[in-house]
Amino acid sequence: MSQVTIQQPPKARLALVVILPLLLSVFAPIASVFAEEETSSQANFAVETGALPEELWSDDYSNRIFPWGGDDREQFRAYHDYFTMKERMQYLADRNPDILEFHEGLKGGTNARGVEKTADSYEGWYYGHSTPWLKITGNVQGGEYNEFVGDNGNYADRPDILLVGTHHAREWMSYEVPMLFLETLVFYYGKAGIDNDGDGLIDEDPWGDADGDGILDDDGDCLKLNNTDTNGDGISCGPGDLGVDEDFSEQWITDLVNNHEIYLIPMLNVDGNRYDREEFCGENAWENCASSGWRKNLRDNTVTGVTPIPDVDESVDEGCDGVDLNRNYQFEWGAPLGATGPLFPGVCYAGGPNNDVYNGPVNYEDNDGDGLINEDHVDGKDDDGDGQIDEDWLGGNTEPETIFIQDLTEMNDDDGDGASDFKVTITWHAYSELVLYPWGHCTNCETTDHEQLIYHGDKMAEMTLYENMQSSDLYPTTGDFCDWHYGVHGSYCYTIEIGTAFHQQPDDINHIAVRNLGVPFYMIEISDAPRDRADLGMSNMSRQWLASPEDVKIPDTGSIPIELCLDDSFPYTLNLNKTHTMWRLVKPTRQQSDYGPTEWIEEDWQRTAFTESEDKCTLADGDVNGSKLVANIPVPDDESGIVHYKSMLGTTSGLSLLEYPEYGQYYVLDIVYRAPYGHLGTALFLFVIVATFVWGGLGIALREMLSDGEESLAAAGAEKSGGAGKK
Amino acid sequence: MEKSDQFSGRLGLVFASIGAAIGTGNIWRFPRMVGANGGGTFLIPWLIFLFAWSIPLVIAEFALGKRSRTGTIGTFRIFAGKNYAWMGLWTAWISTAIGFYYAIVAGWCLKYFSLGLTNGLTNVDTTQVWNEFLQSGSQVVMFQFIVILITIAAIWKGAKAIEKANVYLMVSLFILLFMTLGLSLWMDMADGTLDGFLFMFSVDPELLLEPEIWINGLSQSAWSCSAGMGMAITYAVYMRKDEDTVLNAFTMGLANNSISIIAGLAVLSAIFAVSSDPLAVVTGGSSAITFLALPEVFSQAPGGEVGAWLMMVGFFLALTFAALTSMISTVELCVRNFVDHGFERNKAVLITTVAIFIFGLPSALLWIRMDAEGVAFPEFLEVQDHIWGFGLMFSGLFIAFSIWKYGWRRFRAKVESGEAKPSIEGYLEHGVPAFRDDFINTGDNDIEVGKWWDALIYIAFPLLFIVLLLSYFGNLIFSYDPWYTAFDPSDTHGAGIVFMFWGVVGISFIFFNKKLAERPVFRNVPEGADCDISTLPGGEDELVVEVGEVAPGWEHLSRDKDEIVEAILDDAILDAEIA
Repeated sequence: MSQVTIQQPPKARLALVVILPLLLSVFAPIASVFAEEETSSQANFAVETGALPEELWSDDYSNRIFPWGGDDREQFRAYHDYFTMKERMQYLADRNPDILEFHEGLKGGTNARGVEKTADSYEGWYYGHSTPWLKITGNVQGGEYNEFVGDNGNYADRPDILLVGTHHAREWMSYEVPMLFLETLVFYYGKAGIDNDGDGLIDEDPWGDADGDGILDDDGDCLKLNNTDTNGDGISCGPGDLGVDEDFSEQWITDLVNNHEIYLIPMLNVDGNRYDREEFCGENAWENCASSGWRKNLRDNTVTGVTPIPDVDESVDEGCDGVDLNRNYQFEWGAPLGATGPLFPGVCYAGGPNNDVYNGPVNYEDNDGDGLINEDHVDGKDDDGDGQIDEDWLGGNTEPETIFIQDLTEMNDDDGDGASDFKVTITWHAYSELVLYPWGHCTNCETTDHEQLIYHGDKMAEMTLYENMQSSDLYPTTGDFCDWHYGVHGSYCYTIEIGTAFHQQPDDINHIAVRNLGVPFYMIEISDAPRDRADLGMSNMSRQWLASPEDVKIPDTGSIPIELCLDDSFPYTLNLNKTHTMWRLVKPTRQQSDYGPTEWIEEDWQRTAFTESEDKCTLADGDVNGSKLVANIPVPDDESGIVHYKSMLGTTSGLSLLEYPEYGQYYVLDIVYRAPYGHLGTALFLFVIVATFVWGGLGIALREMLSDGEESLAAAGAEKSGGAGKK
Repeated sequence: MEKSDQFSGRLGLVFASIGAAIGTGNIWRFPRMVGANGGGTFLIPWLIFLFAWSIPLVIAEFALGKRSRTGTIGTFRIFAGKNYAWMGLWTAWISTAIGFYYAIVAGWCLKYFSLGLTNGLTNVDTTQVWNEFLQSGSQVVMFQFIVILITIAAIWKGAKAIEKANVYLMVSLFILLFMTLGLSLWMDMADGTLDGFLFMFSVDPELLLEPEIWINGLSQSAWSCSAGMGMAITYAVYMRKDEDTVLNAFTMGLANNSISIIAGLAVLSAIFAVSSDPLAVVTGGSSAITFLALPEVFSQAPGGEVGAWLMMVGFFLALTFAALTSMISTVELCVRNFVDHGFERNKAVLITTVAIFIFGLPSALLWIRMDAEGVAFPEFLEVQDHIWGFGLMFSGLFIAFSIWKYGWRRFRAKVESGEAKPSIEGYLEHGVPAFRDDFINTGDNDIEVGKWWDALIYIAFPLLFIVLLLSYFGNLIFSYDPWYTAFDPSDTHGAGIVFMFWGVVGISFIFFNKKLAERPVFRNVPEGADCDISTLPGGEDELVVEVGEVAPGWEHLSRDKDEIVEAILDDAILDAEIA
């Protein structure tokens, strides 16, 4: 027995080690069971109301932590100032040289008006900074180089958009919103398919009311919350609340960047902003300057009163100095209806009351050299009847900041057609929660794009829940950015009045900025043809349809026709690049798991052109005169599985505006195997071969075996069952 | 262990090994693979690899087991050397780990047989029936338990009992399948097209150029024949002396493929007869076809209720029998290894079956999920299959390795005696061929195995192994984006979890090898089965003895085994408590 006890320990370990892998195989998965249970219980919470944010979304999203991390400024809990903002812009540009290019001011040269400019022409009067800005586009180092502006990445076929913040020094949110736009764009560029809010769904809730049910929260997750007004603005599940418009498409952002040139100027009025922060209100401006502060730039107006000369040695005379940049643009400048203009145009007296809307000095030059002065000011009309328009202006565009905007606008002409490339512009201001469209200089007047401007304004008002109105209905202004941009350059220009104070509480930066985030992306998207897009949006396009899977008739053999039914006046193009059906096969894999759900493989998307059909089709509203287009997608007869398809529709003007079904979605069509299964003759032939090999071989083997084993069979045969072997 | 055990005759062995080879894979996996891989086109690689992979491997297994007269652990110990006993442990473990969930799958089949018997599958929503069954843990466990009880009954008494069970089950399976096939063909003919038959035997030459078809043909052949699993080694232990191993291997392989064709034709004909989109039905997951689609199809069998009843009962009983015979071989493979190491058979059977029951429970009960189409599936079971299913490949490689190793040993001896040149050509000429001469072409065979077998073991085998491995893991890894996330071990469907489990198990087995080699192995050498240990490489291993002999230093094992086993188990429990 002593031997036994000596031997026992190793034997015991033996048994244990035999069991160890068994235990391992069981317990490791069990451990992950518990992890799984937790997540599934979270998912269950989602269907109940009264949930807490952290039950619906990732912790980061619930706590409003932006995925790019960083300090309070980068998280939009504290304000940037000029320096930290510029540093961040440079940092992002360094890290993302493929899409961002950092600039300050312009390089200079001969501008569009034949005036020589140098780089220092754009430096602020007082602190001497040139406005920092970013050029944003895909492959920004490629394309043409613009010598005057100094930027690369100029592509004639990419629409341009100008985004300008902080005309007015004290409106601090008006550079935080562009900064959040920048961070968002940079972080999500090139990253398709992110689940932004961590709820397990991807791109389920874009900006605005994507599904048209009148509720911004397209995926309905905000509505499940206990507290549906998480940003405390008094609106339940409004923009900026948790769960609203929080999971946009990253591919869409990527496409926008790749196909557009974006000029982003978060802080135009650097001089004024520094003064507001460093002198006038102080760092904590929201405490003592909530509804006041420094507004203008820092032009020195006190030297003479008539033709001011910059005097940098002199400190700012707050009672008189500065020009309201948003009254300084050269369209209807200082016109009579400019109720906010100076009492005497161009005049400001030392020690006099501060005129916050002073529009800058009068221009006494003979701009056209005809011996007359100011006989045809800039208003788009031929005031003096000499056949020339706006050739001798009264004033405006006198400040380094406005000249910067003027030259950037007028020198940005990639396609060389003599007109500015900016067909869409935004300027951010604070405050009042408004979306404003031109005109500003006249009341009871309408632009020629009135309907279209309202259309886009409504769209942006919808995603911000701001009010959309004509600028002059708020109060008339002359020489503002949008009147000039629209009036002189025909650009669709909107003034967004952000928030509820000049200096918002730092707690409010985050959600106000989030609330305004969709606007610039929307404007980029429409920048190729804002008028056409508005027309299409307003036209009754909901009548048009792409055949849904139930309506697709799969023929017994050959290509499958996908029909598109269009309004007979719709200016469609058949150009393959603009108008086509995208489709891909989705098939079960050939090697399936034996016990799990069916596994699928998605093949690559293919494009098939549409052709016109002579037949008419019936539009969704019953109109039988629709134009029918047909794309015959060549799905092989011997495929079985699923086809995903969607269609892109472009217009004769070269736009690719529409997708059916909605953007980023597709239809799912079941397809059956349509080819013949085979020929009887060849099938029989193979059957004979297989049968000969397998059954014949088996027969021979069994016979061999039986003859071989007769003796042993005889011996043991009685015991054997069924006589299966004997027959 | 009082005496050695053997089959009563060669038919017993053949039926047992056919039973091991034929499983649910033939009846539910094969039709699906034919459907997904181009019908008749698939049959070509599938047949080629029967002869190029499965049969040669089974020949090797029979030859090894017949000589070693031990289960997988002892076989590797004897042929590959003391340091490689862990390979046998791996082989046994993979088979047992698969057994953990296979008992549940066999239970599903039994449940569906019982449903068919009571008309519980006609005029019902088959998805609902399936979901309710799978979500009812007690039901699943009950049928799992019944399967295990049947298995215990079949193997309790050893080789003769196994043989008897297999003969009854296999003969019934043939009859049932033929009946089902008859009804299916009748259905398929009734609509005047016979398209199921056409599809199954029509070749699309273009598809033959796709590597995937060939890879699937190879894996189907390897999996369904159980080649490399160690089954043939285990059953060869009970062989009589003069067995024709080659003929047995051919019979087993051909019988396996015959059943596949019959089952495939039965399933495809029935589905093609009634389904408007038959390919969509057969290309989904296996359990979906078997438990959702087929009951619907069968309920439309000719002959009204009687026909439907006959088809349901016939098919699911055949399926159950196929699963049971495979279950029997799985358990026996594990039991044999315990018995080899001095455990009493009854105890070994109990240990194995209790383990299979308990460790199967998580697969039966956990993670019953719904897929996108609203069909329940057992995700834990699926993950187990994902982890262990492919481990079979290594078992096959190890078998080839032990043959290469044996050949190397013989080749070195010949080099020393000057009979062979010390070169690669020398090894190729005197290595594996020596194994063939020594253990395959022994005079008991009607068919002489030629040099083709050497070539397959030398070249085709490692090549195909690498192709299978690369294609499997390549597909798996590159279905992830970025690819390296496939290695996240917490992803239950990734590659990382597979490597983690394999790594931990493999390494602990290698570590455990030393302990294993310290124990004696008892060879099952029946009377007249003349295979002297001295003719084998393991001859120097004095701990390898025959049943009834005494291993030096382990006399107690031969004296009072019950006591020792209890002592070992008690000690293990004690150790576990201490830990």
